[in-house]
Amino acid sequence: MNSLTASAAIATGRVQLATVRQSALVTARLRALWVMLLFVFLTLTACVRIAQLGLFEQTPERTSLAEALLPSRGEITDRNGIALARAFASYSLWFNPKALGERGAPLVKTPEEVARALVGIFPDADYADLVARLKAGKPCYLRRRVLPEDANKIFALGEPALEFPREEQRFYPQGSLAAHVLGYVDEAGKGHVGMEQVLEPRLLDPAYRGTPTALSIDARAQGALEDELGRGMLETSAKGAAGVILDADSGEVIALASLPSFNPNRSDLAYNDLVFNRVSNQVYELGSTFKPITVASAIDAGVITDLAVRYPSVPFQVGKFTIHDSHNFGASLNVPEALIHSSNTVTAHVADLLGPVALKRTMEQLGMNERPTIELPARGFPLWPHGGGEGGKGDWARLTTMTVSYGHGIAVTPLHLASAYAALVNGGIWRPATLYKVDPAHLAQGRRVFQASTSARIRQLLRMIVVDGTGRKADAAGFRVGGKTGSAEKPGSGGYRKTSLIATFAAAFPMDKPRYVVIVMLDEPQATASTSGQRTAAWNAAPIVGRLVPRIGPMLGVVPDAHHDVDISDLSPLVGSGEGE
Amino acid sequence: MMVSANRFRSIGWIALLLVCAALVMVLAFRVNALRSQVHRTEQQIVALRKEKLYLETEVETRANQQQLKLWNDVEFGYVAPTAGQYLANERQLAAFAKPDGPDSPTPIRVASADDAVAAEAAFPSVIPDFAGVTDMAAPAAAAEDEDKAVAKPADAADHAKATANLGARLAMVAPLKKDSKDKPGKGKADKEGKTKDGEKKAGLAKSAKDDAARPGKGANLTAAKAEAKPGKGAAAKSEKSAKSAPKAAHSGSKSAP
Repeated sequence: MNSLTASAAIATGRVQLATVRQSALVTARLRALWVMLLFVFLTLTACVRIAQLGLFEQTPERTSLAEALLPSRGEITDRNGIALARAFASYSLWFNPKALGERGAPLVKTPEEVARALVGIFPDADYADLVARLKAGKPCYLRRRVLPEDANKIFALGEPALEFPREEQRFYPQGSLAAHVLGYVDEAGKGHVGMEQVLEPRLLDPAYRGTPTALSIDARAQGALEDELGRGMLETSAKGAAGVILDADSGEVIALASLPSFNPNRSDLAYNDLVFNRVSNQVYELGSTFKPITVASAIDAGVITDLAVRYPSVPFQVGKFTIHDSHNFGASLNVPEALIHSSNTVTAHVADLLGPVALKRTMEQLGMNERPTIELPARGFPLWPHGGGEGGKGDWARLTTMTVSYGHGIAVTPLHLASAYAALVNGGIWRPATLYKVDPAHLAQGRRVFQASTSARIRQLLRMIVVDGTGRKADAAGFRVGGKTGSAEKPGSGGYRKTSLIATFAAAFPMDKPRYVVIVMLDEPQATASTSGQRTAAWNAAPIVGRLVPRIGPMLGVVPDAHHDVDISDLSPLVGSGEGE
Repeated sequence: MMVSANRFRSIGWIALLLVCAALVMVLAFRVNALRSQVHRTEQQIVALRKEKLYLETEVETRANQQQLKLWNDVEFGYVAPTAGQYLANERQLAAFAKPDGPDSPTPIRVASADDAVAAEAAFPSVIPDFAGVTDMAAPAAAAEDEDKAVAKPADAADHAKATANLGARLAMVAPLKKDSKDKPGKGKADKEGKTKDGEKKAGLAKSAKDDAARPGKGANLTAAKAEAKPGKGAAAKSEKSAKSAPKAAHSGSKSAP
């Protein structure tokens, strides 16, 4: 019994043990299975991931090389590829008040100290404005464009709140050079004033903006023009100056300057009067520089057939108005003498013989009755004299014809004059001025205004004015400069003002085969010691051309040669000597 | 057995498939690795190009026209060249060497006045410098030169005089050179001096040779020889001149009729 009980008890215990063992074994296997599954899962995941990475995964935001290098706004270059405007990641000065954490003062030093230090770095900065911005504690730009060395100086201040993010902005490496041609880009990225505005669609078009856009400008000639105009302006204390260099054959604008200028790199300061372009937008009565146009028109019309014919040069009255010269040149002058001495009376007589119809037609053919043809958005409308008849569109009155013949009563831009002079000297073809580089094989059609023979005659006459007449100070040795001075009184309240002049010199060189037309204009030049106490163009505008031409000539492919010149031997015997306007 | 063979074959196929798959995978991995390498390189190119543009712009900005003008105004003062500084062609350049008129005085030269004569004396050296040519060319040249020598005795006398002068000058240079050698820290100057001496000697030797090539110039030749000696002594280091001087004398004696 006992043994039976004991064995039964043992058996029960064994069964229980076996059950426990069984269940433990199952649990262990189950766990092992889980672990194995986990490993398998991990391995599979890793494999899948490796395969995914190795086979399919492309790098995120993958961009092509060309796309990555595509500027945000296309580059503008001069005709030789010198960059005038480019998209450039420049530093800006950003105030981040949370750089030192959410709490506490945003700056280490006081706002006043920081503002003072910043004014030390940027002398043109406004101290009060900086203090106000730093105190306000709002993130903002303190300055849009900072030079690397200035950024280093600011970094040395030890203010973590002053940050220098590099942002793509419009940058003009040449500073204010050709500012009026280029214009500027505002903070919103919109182009203003010059070619930045005109070329905006192209500059922003992804298809085109990768390739630079070449203008007709030559940066070296532009620099020389600005230098010499600036010098002339300083020497004569003039209010402003304008200059343009035009390719006589193609109409390409090689340089165009209006002074005082502005710095397109500081677009925040560009909203002022300086962006006004005196070359293409401001109209002036350009005075005696019109005389060669009148003479050309008369030669072309057959009114002047003999240059030895003398015309009276004494003051004479037309209606209530008396036409007179700046000096007394004797009783009579022939046409070469009249141009050399710049005689109003003789030109008026010639215009009277020519008649209003022919002169008006010439002026219209030269585009003097419409805005100048150039790509710039700011183009001034000429003050075109009213004619008789309905709506003033009829013929000019006799007096109007006479005054227009010597550049009064008609106001045009210096660019009008440049295009007209190009037609005068290039064989008689007027072509629109352009700021795009022109392929010599595809010149603009143009229109014939003067006969080639007339143009040849005018080249002689213009050269004579520089050799013997009022343009002597423009006679750069070896460059065969020819041109005409013009000193027109500015109209004011109650008539013309005797002391406010527009002094212009319209020139072309080399006269034996004119390549370039140069127009230089000074607005209200004063009589100074450097101009020998004179304020007329012969003393202030002509010397500018005389200094400018030797600088630009060799660069533009005109080699000075003292042994070459346009032949004026048939006209030389016709002139005496004297001084004119 | 058949079953096992089939099975074996299918296992083989599967194994092949797996190997191929593994190879494709390896290839794909390599292609992708290369692709990302290319991408990385592209990024580097972009970064470098941007850096280049940055530096380029910086240089352009620092050297912009206004800045250059400022430097020129303050530092350099360069002005545009005048018409007189341009030459139309080589003829115009050569015309500078021509005297102004038939009896015009020789222009005043700031540098050595003998240079023109020395250059003229050295001119025949363009003929290749090997013995045969000199010997063969000499008789032919002799016939021509005879006329010239008759026509222009003054020229020949000048020539000999110039050669003599040159010899005298070389003799003068020699002691100077010795002096300069004694001074320390003038190595470069010495070198230059030597080269110049060498050149002068060569010129002298050539002129002697030139003289020698002309017949009927026995007196000239002796003068040249006599003058050549100090030059030779002064710079014995220059082998060329030392060798060519006797050679010239030799050829001269040969060619003399």
